[in-house]
Amino acid sequence: MIPFRPMSATSEVPAAFRNAAGDRGPLRLVGEGIADIRSRRRLVRYLVQADIRKRGADTILGNIWWILDPLLQMVVYVVFLSIVVRNGPPDYPLFIFSAILPWKWFSASITDATTSIVRHDQLIKQIQFPKLVLPVAATTAGIVSFAFGTVALIVLMLFYSSHFSIYLVFIPVIAGVQFVFTLAFSFLVAAGNVFFRDLGNVVGHVLRLWWFLSPGLYSLATLELVFRDHPTLVTIAGMNPFAILFEAYRMVIYGTPTSPPGPPNFVSLAVLLIASIGFLALTTFVFKRLEPNFAKVV
Amino acid sequence: MAILRRPPRIQPRADHAIAASDLGVRYDLRFTRKTTIRSSLAQMVGRGHAEQFWALRHVDLRVQRGESLAVIGPNGAGKSTLLQVLAGIIRPSEGVVDVVGHVSGLLTLGAGFDKELTGRDNILLGGAFLGLDDAVTRELLPSIIEYAELGDFIDAPLRTYSSGMRARLGFAIATSVDPDILLLDEVLATGDANFRAKSKTRVIEIVAAAKAVVLVTHDMNWVTEYCNRAILIERGVVVMEGEPADVVETHRVHTEEARVRATEAAQAAGVDPRIVQIR
Repeated sequence: MIPFRPMSATSEVPAAFRNAAGDRGPLRLVGEGIADIRSRRRLVRYLVQADIRKRGADTILGNIWWILDPLLQMVVYVVFLSIVVRNGPPDYPLFIFSAILPWKWFSASITDATTSIVRHDQLIKQIQFPKLVLPVAATTAGIVSFAFGTVALIVLMLFYSSHFSIYLVFIPVIAGVQFVFTLAFSFLVAAGNVFFRDLGNVVGHVLRLWWFLSPGLYSLATLELVFRDHPTLVTIAGMNPFAILFEAYRMVIYGTPTSPPGPPNFVSLAVLLIASIGFLALTTFVFKRLEPNFAKVV
Repeated sequence: MAILRRPPRIQPRADHAIAASDLGVRYDLRFTRKTTIRSSLAQMVGRGHAEQFWALRHVDLRVQRGESLAVIGPNGAGKSTLLQVLAGIIRPSEGVVDVVGHVSGLLTLGAGFDKELTGRDNILLGGAFLGLDDAVTRELLPSIIEYAELGDFIDAPLRTYSSGMRARLGFAIATSVDPDILLLDEVLATGDANFRAKSKTRVIEIVAAAKAVVLVTHDMNWVTEYCNRAILIERGVVVMEGEPADVVETHRVHTEEARVRATEAAQAAGVDPRIVQIR
């Protein structure tokens, strides 16, 4: 038997002076949140790897599902909508796929993040670690499935090669903006679900409603046409982050029904990015404020 | 705020490993296990006074370097809550805690593993959760595998493990850290007789190496044998502090009294007292 060597490993748990009056300011908490993630990058990486390995391990087709999933969902919508609406835009499958792909990434990440903290209730009661790593890992794992989904996009592009353009290189830029927004949103649902266990049900329905209210199966122009007598509604619809994101993805992948692909609207993307960073700071603050109570409640 | 009314009484002296002053942990029963939005709304609309429960109250504690403190008491008295506060897992609602040095907690073992991952991946993940440097974890890997006696199972998913194997792995991971301050919560009853003996040896080793130990246990022999001080907690309050033998004796007397009371209550209610006795 190998004897236990004299060990020099020490945990990172700081020697802290802790007291009840722990009301730290918002900026301080956001700073702590950033430090939490920076110091625990490796933990995030392990959690992401574990997540990916698990999802691929037990199914017959393994990771192939990540490619098939958005394609099959697209087929469902195409079949359904070709019965309801007869004359959709040309190359309709590619038209909706450009929205299904990012939406699946968002909804899967949020669904996963919602239970990310309560899933680890045992660990939280036994080990002191920054809980922020859990929703971060859940959303980061989503990036990988999105990347696999772009393989499906390439396959689809072979059938609609006329839409192929150099503007596809902007997909990572749009995805980056989406990631910041997703991260911010995930902190909120992850922390909220600790206190309200039925938040998961609510989130599921909100996501479904959000999808149908966003210009994914139809274009923003269609929405503007429907609500032409209600300019406020059109403004509100345009402020939906996924209106901006879907329009951007569609512009670089599909173009518009009447024109080939082009550059996305960088101004609205920049506005969304700035708003998302502000939102992220806010939800990091909320999360860090609630974090000390997690171990008592889970 | 409590802190303004009652300034911390801890003197900035270097010789203590743990110092707690007027420690209190309050649980808000509004947000206990599995609250739903509906029940919270009902509470807000109806009589909105939050029910509160003090798991610990007015606890003063000082553990010197080189000391080994036993925490005993009946179930639900607040022993584990105290360890959670010392480990930094729960922030006290009241009072101050000062912990000097690196803390490692061996709280209830075997839980918190990822069943789908292999033993090896669980060790790496566990190390990352504990905040160990990755190079250190990888260096410790062979000795952890060897110590847990898992053999080829180390590369099989954890769900294929027996509960004994899982407990051994948990113990091996948790004890791979070399802490300044060690917190133990009922870790002595792990695995079969063989492993129990082995783990006892290991715990004694760590206890000897650590600068301070706080231990929660129901094993009174351990308390009198390996601890140099003990506290008795009942209903969140420290009722006694002193020599392990004295505290253990008081605990025994209190437990006996509680049993007598329960028997009498059962008799008054017309239940066969033997049923209560057996419990």
